[in-house]
Amino acid sequence: MVKITIPAEVKELIAKRGIKESDVNDVINTAAATKKYIKKGNDGLAKKVIGGLTVYVVSDLSGKGTAVVKTAYAHKMSLGKIVNVMSETDWKTPDGRPIAQGHVEMEYITVKRNGPALVDPATGDSWVEEYLAVKTLAVAEGLFEKKRA
Amino acid sequence: MGYEEMFPAMNKRWHDNATKRFASPFVDNPHDRIDVDPIILSAAAVACGYTIRDFYEKPELGIHCVGYISHLYDLLPVTHWFFSLPWVTELGLKLVYKETLPPISTGPIYSAPEDVDKMHVPSKEELVNAQAKYGQLATVPMFYRIYDYVTKNLPMTLVPISYGFDLVGAAAEMVGMENFIMWTFTEPEAADKLVDKYTQTSINGAEALADKYGSAMLIVGSILANNDIFNDEGVERYSVKNMYKYVDGCFKRGAGPQVFYHLCGNHETDYKLFRDGLMWSPFTVFHVGYKGRNPFPSSLLKQNFEDRATCMGSVDTKLMIDPNPNKVYNQAKEQLLGGRDSKKGYILGTSCETPPYTIPGQMLALVKAARDFGTYGTW
Repeated sequence: MVKITIPAEVKELIAKRGIKESDVNDVINTAAATKKYIKKGNDGLAKKVIGGLTVYVVSDLSGKGTAVVKTAYAHKMSLGKIVNVMSETDWKTPDGRPIAQGHVEMEYITVKRNGPALVDPATGDSWVEEYLAVKTLAVAEGLFEKKRA
Repeated sequence: MGYEEMFPAMNKRWHDNATKRFASPFVDNPHDRIDVDPIILSAAAVACGYTIRDFYEKPELGIHCVGYISHLYDLLPVTHWFFSLPWVTELGLKLVYKETLPPISTGPIYSAPEDVDKMHVPSKEELVNAQAKYGQLATVPMFYRIYDYVTKNLPMTLVPISYGFDLVGAAAEMVGMENFIMWTFTEPEAADKLVDKYTQTSINGAEALADKYGSAMLIVGSILANNDIFNDEGVERYSVKNMYKYVDGCFKRGAGPQVFYHLCGNHETDYKLFRDGLMWSPFTVFHVGYKGRNPFPSSLLKQNFEDRATCMGSVDTKLMIDPNPNKVYNQAKEQLLGGRDSKKGYILGTSCETPPYTIPGQMLALVKAARDFGTYGTW
């Protein structure tokens, strides 16, 4: 098990976003067990689908066997297949494979559209960065709900 | 008397139906028919008895005319108002109103490549407080006034929009078109820097709009950067890459998620570069004006972009002032048949802004074609 620390200001932020500490722990422990996460410098980005939400955690992994949580966020859209692969980013898989910028299918209320994401063409996996999840996709989810009403 | 007192209240029944229709392509919920967006600007003011200058000099009047005339022609349920040179005022250009044109620049203010280093990118705060220094054409205060007016008087039509518009063309205005085009051969780094500074200013402005309204649709185009002026490499370097940077930068600051990509002019071969060069959000419309001298075929638009975004096809704007409604009707029919079953939806448009003196019969022909060939059936 990873020793997980969530600083007070991060606890406040994730509470505002409706994310439970137990979800954060679940995301990190699952990533550690499956080795499915990506790294940029000392930062690790992991995700897990929990109850219809895709929850992401960014942690500082510089200490051995520890994760200090820097932020956590979530989106409702579910991520599908990779649409395109663009330039490489500074993110890498734990074994050093580069992660690219690209687009994936995003599905919400049965509607499939495209959105930007970090993509690993080798595995088909994808991750959404914080600014896109809490701003762009959050507003897009609201628009889907309104336009579908 | 406020402008709002000169217009009857909007018809709720019409607006409700137009709103459902407008949502159709974005949420796979077909309603009524393919929507029609002739990018109506000063034509709306002219149709209400005002002048082209009135439209631009009195933006609140202009945007009310757009809302009012949209009902007449059964167009979109949302309002917009813009011209092609946002942000240049804050970068130092002087714009003047003209009787028959949108505001134009009195001339470039820089001429040497090293001058680009002198260009100051205004911060968000500087843009918000620009009116005292730059008057009524200061971009953010102007759009705050316009959207505050719409919020008060036409709230059901409000979509706050931030315009990057023509990142290359507007930047080129700072140094003169000829200079800029020459620099792309002789001083490409200076040309890069110039477009980047305009792009960064536009991003700061989009953040100011998003701060106030919670989000802001983005409109950005590739207009000067087209195949009549540049080869494909030039379009990619100066336009595609900056359009990506603009949208990504705006998303980082809370603007979006709606994006309207407008490729005006001739995009004979460069259109292929946009498919994997742009940032696509779940609410993106992609519009191309021309392929060579002809309207860009909707069948080709669909083939290349239907898996990326909602496609918007084009009827040649010249036909909107050609007194032969059947030319509009037949071209609209051809475009509708080519694009109407695009996977992520289709909108029928004109290649660019419909001309100020658009003939009403041509507008009717455009909408009639959408009614005749754009209803949702078993295509």
